Amino acid sequence: MRYAAIVIGGGPAGMAAACAVKESEKVLIIEREARLGGILKQCVHDGFGVIRFGEKLSGPEYADRFIDEVYSRKNIDVRTLTFVTDIEKRNGYFVVTTTSGKGIVSYEGENLILANGCRERTARQVNIHGTRPAGLMTAGTAQNLVNLMGIMPAKRCVILGSGDIGLIMARRLTLEGAEVVGVYEAKATPSGLQRNLQQCLYDFGIPVSLKKTVTLVHGRDRVEGVTVSDVDDDMRPISGTEEYIPCDALIVSVGLIPENELAENLGVPIDPRTKGPVVDQYMMTAVDGVYSVGNALHVHDLVDYVSEVAETAGKDVGRRKSRASIEVTQKGFAYLVPQRIDAANVEKETTFYFRASHDTERAKLTVTINGKTAVTKKYSMLKPPEAVRVKLALPVKAGDDVKFVLEDDDDGNV
Amino acid sequence: MVDIKKIKRKLVKAGYPLIEASLKNGSVVLSGELEDYEGILECGTIAVCKESRGVVNDIRLKGYAPEKMRICPVEDKAYDGESPDVLVIGGGIVGAAIARELTKYALTVTVLEKEYDIATGQSARNDGMIHAGIDLKPSSIKVKYNARGNAMYPRISKELDVPIEMCGQCVLYTKRWQKLLFPFIKARGAKNNIPVEKLGPEEVKKYVPEPGIKYGGFMCPSAGILSPYQMTVAFMENAVNNGAVLHTDTAVTGIDNDGEKITAVRTNRGTFYPKAVVNAAGIYSDVIAEWAGDRHFTIHPRRGVEAVLDKKAKKATSAVIGKFVIKSSTGKGHTKGGGVIVTVDGNILLGPSAKETPERENEATVPEEFEEMIAKQFKLAPKLKRSDIITYFAGTRAATYEEEFVVEKSPVVRNFVQAAGIQSPGVTAAPAIAEDVGKWVAEIVFGSDVKYNTNFDPIRKRIPKPSEMLPEERKKLIAEDPDYGVVICRCEEVTKGEIKEALRRPASVPAVDAVKRRVRAGMGRCQGGFCSPLVMKIISEECGIPLDKVRKKGAGSEIAFRYTKGGDR
Repeated sequence: MRYAAIVIGGGPAGMAAACAVKESEKVLIIEREARLGGILKQCVHDGFGVIRFGEKLSGPEYADRFIDEVYSRKNIDVRTLTFVTDIEKRNGYFVVTTTSGKGIVSYEGENLILANGCRERTARQVNIHGTRPAGLMTAGTAQNLVNLMGIMPAKRCVILGSGDIGLIMARRLTLEGAEVVGVYEAKATPSGLQRNLQQCLYDFGIPVSLKKTVTLVHGRDRVEGVTVSDVDDDMRPISGTEEYIPCDALIVSVGLIPENELAENLGVPIDPRTKGPVVDQYMMTAVDGVYSVGNALHVHDLVDYVSEVAETAGKDVGRRKSRASIEVTQKGFAYLVPQRIDAANVEKETTFYFRASHDTERAKLTVTINGKTAVTKKYSMLKPPEAVRVKLALPVKAGDDVKFVLEDDDDGNV
Repeated sequence: MVDIKKIKRKLVKAGYPLIEASLKNGSVVLSGELEDYEGILECGTIAVCKESRGVVNDIRLKGYAPEKMRICPVEDKAYDGESPDVLVIGGGIVGAAIARELTKYALTVTVLEKEYDIATGQSARNDGMIHAGIDLKPSSIKVKYNARGNAMYPRISKELDVPIEMCGQCVLYTKRWQKLLFPFIKARGAKNNIPVEKLGPEEVKKYVPEPGIKYGGFMCPSAGILSPYQMTVAFMENAVNNGAVLHTDTAVTGIDNDGEKITAVRTNRGTFYPKAVVNAAGIYSDVIAEWAGDRHFTIHPRRGVEAVLDKKAKKATSAVIGKFVIKSSTGKGHTKGGGVIVTVDGNILLGPSAKETPERENEATVPEEFEEMIAKQFKLAPKLKRSDIITYFAGTRAATYEEEFVVEKSPVVRNFVQAAGIQSPGVTAAPAIAEDVGKWVAEIVFGSDVKYNTNFDPIRKRIPKPSEMLPEERKKLIAEDPDYGVVICRCEEVTKGEIKEALRRPASVPAVDAVKRRVRAGMGRCQGGFCSPLVMKIISEECGIPLDKVRKKGAGSEIAFRYTKGGDR
């Protein structure tokens, strides 16, 4: 039997993609963990689903809605505790080889939907030196330990990085009885969503220190303290500003890296800005039949959008007959997704997601087609941590030259 | 005959008139106090002379209190009164190879390791090269053991089921004129029985597709690589299977000597009464020598940092890339300059650096040393990217002032054998050193009537590794034990079956890092971010340790403090 689509990863993106495939088509979800839900399983805080369901859900609740849907669908097969060891592209289909307690099994699929998420950057990957004791971990690992394993990895901790997971862990550890000495951020502005800064730090009186980073970890068996330093504009520590802070844990939340080893092995081109594949508006990569969704594509702020984007891919399975992809030229963004447009299948509106490269009070987005302005849009208060979703009517044809420009708009009115 | 006056004159000339030099136990003993560590090192180097047994450098560093030996906080009498035939102090690669060798004799063997696991010091913190030995001084002890060890590894690799790769070492010239030295390199090779092949700038590309330095170089095909901690574990597992006993968390705190031999070895876990004692104590081997009553050398720790790169980066080279370094005679720059190494596991390793330090056990990495090291190594293979670096670590090597191994049956203490001052090429030399140590210990215990262990089994099987198996083989293994189908560490594709087996092996330790060294869970690009909670859970279930008591390493490294909801479960 050949599946219409094999989805790799049973987190929010993979489940949404699978559920969006027409019920007449067979879909397989391969999940390496024991249960579906991905990282949502450990996200016990609320705030999920406001856009999609109009209510505040916890991560597991949000996941449950999709899990119920997956298991109610007759066209979706699920394999948990199953790990992909190899993907081979044959003529018009893919062979996905897996290992599990049941043995080595290969599955065939006409399309692949890569929904394998992202990993966390580690302390060593942001130039932190010193020792490697117990108590030094990423925020996601700390979250797993507290929320899934039910154990406390800190009594008095320092958090490096003001990304959302770091902020959420600051609150979580505080609620579980730990003292969070402070959150340190090397950038001049916090990386997390505004609402998380308010609800996780300010509401609990946890101080945030900007333009400061941890440079050294001390303690051989257990973290005994960290050295923090001011950083210059290039985020290099300034000598003479070192301060020793006693603590028993350093929790780092210093960025997420889309996991694309499987994609790279398939020859999928990667966008250095997103660190995920280059895709068209249906989330199909430059390799025919291979889709990329969720945080493997680019790191999303909100799971609601993860689901939406993944559904775009799921709906597309088996639908398009011919394609004519053109690359979009982009300027002034941290990144823009999709990076390509299939001009043969342009709908009335195309959805784009972008991040600004810096904080801007007023900005202007201009899209030109063959040098002619097609759309302009004005924005106020753009911040790199908050991705912008925009639907644009772009009547693009094959061979067109499409340019997206985001620039500061100093004198314009919003 | 040691000319102490000459050494004193040299010290005065170098600006150290207050440093005392005397002759004791056949070695030159330096004493006094200096304000800078470099000065102490310089005096130690000045005092080296062929006629002495070595330099004992007792010069104090002003205002510096030497660190205390790190000892596991446990203090009890668990092993009090044990009287093995031979006690091996140190569970690094040298101690483990010696332990295995000793089990070939009809001897009871006990190994003491002060850390929570074997292979936590230099043996886990080196680049794992099987050296060709081209850079070693002809007729040195190092070159002798290196050559013998190098030749032994193919057989050991088969017996212990630990992969080695004889990939060769490609040494690049850093200056165009250095190619003129090739006849001398070739001649030195011939003297030490080391084959050397000339490589023109184009021929280099056979091994290094895009070398950073384009003057050509030479190839030492007899160089290779292995995983030094895997090899240490294999030696020890085989030793234990053949009857050796390993006590971890057991540190020697003193040695009793009746004037001609060792009578007792005191530890934090009780006193041992062995017939013979082997010093394989690495960075502390001079301290053990002193306690035993035959100190004639000094360890001056030399820290090195190495960086591990993502497996994705491996296409940059097939052989080890080294840089041609002409050693200075001033005693500085004692390193081969490090290199770029593709490990047996497929990662690239950069390093090591070399920094003299009074601290024996400080394994913290230092930004400046790291930056200097990677800048140097990136020049050899410019295609490598900084973003490929997944982690880095530091270790301290046990250097003596002679820059020589101390491998001997003590002429002073009748039942004491030393395998001390082992630094590079210690991994290569370890099995050869073990052979000689075995003979000497047998002489001490048996006299002329040496008895062998007729049941010695040289074979040890490694933990099955599904990710490297053919599909049929893998299917069969999973059918026998489904845990070998369940992947726990996704970066390195390590299964639950492998982790459970690592915990059941002889000489195993229920700690996350101990599992990591045995099966690589947590060694990939996410550095255990995803798998460490799962590994903790398996340790908890398999070893009956409550989840909140599971450790990363030794005592005091529990990953959690308590259950969130309180109480035990």
